[in-house]
Amino acid sequence: MKVKKLQLVLMAILIAVPTLIFSQATITGLLIIENVNNRETGNDMQGDLTMSLINSHGDQRVRKIKQFVKDFGNMEKSIMFFVSPADVRNTSFMNWSYDEAGKDDDQWIYLPALKKVKRLSSDSKSDYFMGSDFTYDDLGDRHPTEDNHKLLREETIDSENCYVVESIPKDDEYMYSRTVTWIIKDKSIGLKKEFYDEDEELLKTLTNKKYEKIKGYWTILSSEMHNVQKDHTTKMELANVKLDTGIPANKFTERMMKRGLK
Amino acid sequence: MRKLNFKIFWVVFALFIFINGAQAQILNWSGYARNYTGMLLTENNEYAILQNTFNLNVEQSKDKVAFKVNPYIYQYPNQEMEIGLREAYMDIYFNVVDLRVGKQQIIWGKADGVFITDIVSPKDLSEFLLRDFEEIRMGITSLKANYYLGENTFEFVWAPNFTSTQMPDESSIWFPELDFPTAPVFDYSQKEVAAEPGNSEVFAKFSAITSAIDFEIMGSYMWDDDPTMHITKTVNPQTMQLTGLTVTPRHHRLGLAGGSFSSTLGGFVLRGEGAYYNGKYFNSEDPILADTTVEKNYLHYLIGVDYTLWDIRLSSQFIQQAILDYEKPIKNDEYENTMTVLASKDFLRETLRLELFSYIGLNNSDALIRPKVIYDLADGFELLLGANIFVGDSGRFGQYDNNDMVYAKVKYSF
Repeated sequence: MKVKKLQLVLMAILIAVPTLIFSQATITGLLIIENVNNRETGNDMQGDLTMSLINSHGDQRVRKIKQFVKDFGNMEKSIMFFVSPADVRNTSFMNWSYDEAGKDDDQWIYLPALKKVKRLSSDSKSDYFMGSDFTYDDLGDRHPTEDNHKLLREETIDSENCYVVESIPKDDEYMYSRTVTWIIKDKSIGLKKEFYDEDEELLKTLTNKKYEKIKGYWTILSSEMHNVQKDHTTKMELANVKLDTGIPANKFTERMMKRGLK
Repeated sequence: MRKLNFKIFWVVFALFIFINGAQAQILNWSGYARNYTGMLLTENNEYAILQNTFNLNVEQSKDKVAFKVNPYIYQYPNQEMEIGLREAYMDIYFNVVDLRVGKQQIIWGKADGVFITDIVSPKDLSEFLLRDFEEIRMGITSLKANYYLGENTFEFVWAPNFTSTQMPDESSIWFPELDFPTAPVFDYSQKEVAAEPGNSEVFAKFSAITSAIDFEIMGSYMWDDDPTMHITKTVNPQTMQLTGLTVTPRHHRLGLAGGSFSSTLGGFVLRGEGAYYNGKYFNSEDPILADTTVEKNYLHYLIGVDYTLWDIRLSSQFIQQAILDYEKPIKNDEYENTMTVLASKDFLRETLRLELFSYIGLNNSDALIRPKVIYDLADGFELLLGANIFVGDSGRFGQYDNNDMVYAKVKYSF
């Protein structure tokens, strides 16, 4: 009986040790990124987003958006209502994103001048969002399985203990050759991220300036993306954040896109 | 858009603002001021248009109700001022039903710049198809009811009074080319459709947006927005020579059923739209017809694709109009094919946009080519330089071959 037990333990070790070694070597980076991706953010969120676009001369343009997000289990729906500038007021944008790897988002835009909801292709995730320095992928639309992740080291910045993870896209044609992310260990929040272009040159740096625990969820309230090559900066600030208020499911419909913030 | 008849309204509206100054601050005010200057590319370089526009949206919502009024002014240094109400409606929101009553623009379909199932709001063609789409679509006084069931919407519209297409004045450079052997006399006595319940229009639509596809199915019992030109010939009985033509524009009832869809396929958005028109009238050269018109059913449909290549947004549509049970004397072609092409690219963090839009008439080898450059000098302040180039010498676009123009628009939105 004892021998049999020993055989079973040895077998278990033989199976488990290579697996553990393999996990340490190749999956840790992925797990860290998945933890960021799967971080609890509440069932729903609403807030006022202010996006300031600053060029190399210091000139500033400001876009204000009211946004609502709701988790529907295997999908997340979000809707944005543009408040300013005046020429885009009442434009709305709806996005449905899916947990299923490889399934593209569904997107629609309502243009008040045309009084029509138009379906968009979400294929161009490398497009910049509203002229900012953020692409749609940068705003959290990128699935962890689209990159190979590697834990480079651990580092302390701004008194926060961080994992430093390098992510290399599986698609050679992707706009970034790699990204390096500093992730706060105990919060699973990215504190800083560097984006390298196709020539391996540093293109942009993202810094999360302010994050707070709201209703028990770590929430990023202020971030800044600096394009070091063009010396552009985009500041994003989220205010009046409300979590888990029970936003009704019908908020994320064509009806509400057309109605706007009434 | 009814010219100075609305002067009284405007005075009342100004008084309303004045008297309600204290309360007015809780209203939402938005709109724009715009200067629009266009010059013909003719030898004399005449002005095609000199227009100053003020467009105002006044809105307010309280819990389950809302209202919107959209007055506008077109002021011209060289012609009569136009004042009108583009929209003026009230909303009532219930749990799964919305009601909107009043003058409103109602836009249906998935086509861009083509009107197939998008037939609820008539068109203002005072400046052919050159105005912004917001300005081409006329509001109609109607009751609109929407019932929502998940992602599905049932929409019903009742328009108690018929509004026809607004055509350009006879003196306008956009007045369509008339193809008559002799100068006609117009008899407008039958042009108007009497405002009575029996002459009202009804429209119904079922629509859904889903992950896989968005679609609409619609039907209507309406009046043809474009009048049929009934032509009576006067012939000298001795010489059998044509001595006169009387053209009597008259609107006819029209039944319509159709639908549209939009779906993504990889990086492409595919769109389609089609409708069956029952009871459309066409002009014919058949000598046995007393008034040169014949009733035929016809199909109007479109397939389109949108995609992005090298950061250039591209869109193309192929449109066909097919007259069923066609007879050779009919003046329209049995099949009329048109294409549209759009290419657009943003620069300078979306503050500069280059755009090219074109209608191409395949039957007459004619086209309207519309390049434009739009620059946002500041947030809400837009400068636009553009051209309208008409190619060909006949057809829907070629008839305006002498109206090639360049134009500039300066617009301040607030």
